[in-house]
Amino acid sequence: MNTTETIELDIRGQVCPSTLLTTLREVTRLQEEILSGSKQVLIRTDNRHATVTVPQALENMGLEVHITKEGGSYRILVCAEAEEGVPSHE
Amino acid sequence: MHRSDFCMVSAFRDWIMFRSVVLLRALLLLISCGMVLAFLARAFGLFKVFPYPFFGPPSLVNAIGGFLFGIGMVLAGGCVVGILYKLGAGSRVAGIGLLGLLVGSGLYAEIHPWWVQLAKKTSFSAGSVTLPQLLGWADWVVILPLVLLAGWFSREGLRKGEWRQRSPVDGYLQPWLAALVLAGIGLVSALVIGMPMGVTTSYAKVAAWFERLVWPQHVASLEFFNLPPHSFHIPLGEVQLAGSPGPAFDGIAAVQYPLIIGIVLGSALSAGLLREWRLKGKLPLRQAVFAGCGGVLMGLASRMTPGCNVWHLWGGVPILALQSLLFVVGLLPGTWVGCRLLEKLVFSRARGINQPHLEGLKP
Repeated sequence: MNTTETIELDIRGQVCPSTLLTTLREVTRLQEEILSGSKQVLIRTDNRHATVTVPQALENMGLEVHITKEGGSYRILVCAEAEEGVPSHE
Repeated sequence: MHRSDFCMVSAFRDWIMFRSVVLLRALLLLISCGMVLAFLARAFGLFKVFPYPFFGPPSLVNAIGGFLFGIGMVLAGGCVVGILYKLGAGSRVAGIGLLGLLVGSGLYAEIHPWWVQLAKKTSFSAGSVTLPQLLGWADWVVILPLVLLAGWFSREGLRKGEWRQRSPVDGYLQPWLAALVLAGIGLVSALVIGMPMGVTTSYAKVAAWFERLVWPQHVASLEFFNLPPHSFHIPLGEVQLAGSPGPAFDGIAAVQYPLIIGIVLGSALSAGLLREWRLKGKLPLRQAVFAGCGGVLMGLASRMTPGCNVWHLWGGVPILALQSLLFVVGLLPGTWVGCRLLEKLVFSRARGINQPHLEGLKP
């Protein structure tokens, strides 16, 4: 059974545009591993605007972005696009 | 502003750094609607004083101030009003930026006599305050092509489906809707207090108040903090008020302090209702230092210009005030320099930032 390692980063409280820059940096660094499904990136942020800009920035890269609210802030999970019939990594 | 994260720094910075025009488009909608509303209000005789008080002939200092303001707002992560709504939602970095703003506003008093001479020497336009006055044309001749251009830009956004943003956050307010509401509030401000919204003279007043606590003789000796009160008319209630940058509670404080407090409390209420209010996370020292420096620069620049982005973009540009247009001429390259400094100095240690991917956002 394949396991997916989660790289977790906490950006809460940082200056804008830290969330977008950090996400782009990590996704760039780990692009191959994310696409292969061995890794995924989880960003915790309080930047509401990033929930618009991050998915836009990563579209057309073969990645999925899942955003959920947790304890007053938001978690942005970037992982490989799920194949048809196969559940995503979340 | 909190619900839509209507950040004017993001509007310019996202365009320059990421080629994203989500908020810039909304800001242009706000300005063009403000232009139409101000034109109609004037046509129907609703403005007793026009151009608004505190606007005068342009000078080179408007552009220099705009340039420095652009650098400062990017480093601080918010403008003079953006910092307030972010602070209200519990952002500590916004608090640091606000402290910087107060310091910068106070520092300006040290250079005021020299700066005001420079402003006089570089003033031009022979007394004209707005672009139509300078050109000698009717207002609508200048406004109509600009509004048509904004309409075309908006139509392009509609065609590309870029007006409606998909955001999963609770209570999200579409930026275009926030822009329309803010344009309406700008008109109400012009009708009620006779001028656009502004907050930065209050930052100078608060800085003078604190400085007077520790160095009263120096504050008493500074020309800027002892300027004679400037008189202005408030249409609501037909009252005459006067105010100056000094520490006293006067007409300017009566107009601006409630706006400052209202933005902070309104944002805190919004964040609280969404259960998103809290003092947030760890702040890297480097970001804190540069946010403070950005605040200082922005505070200085807002007195050098004089005015801030809200005063000029929401109030001055819609009436084509020459001072505001020059502010924008300086603001754009200043924002570009701020973005470069942000990448080189604040996020320089971020591993592997790959420039081509910074342009991954769709245009």
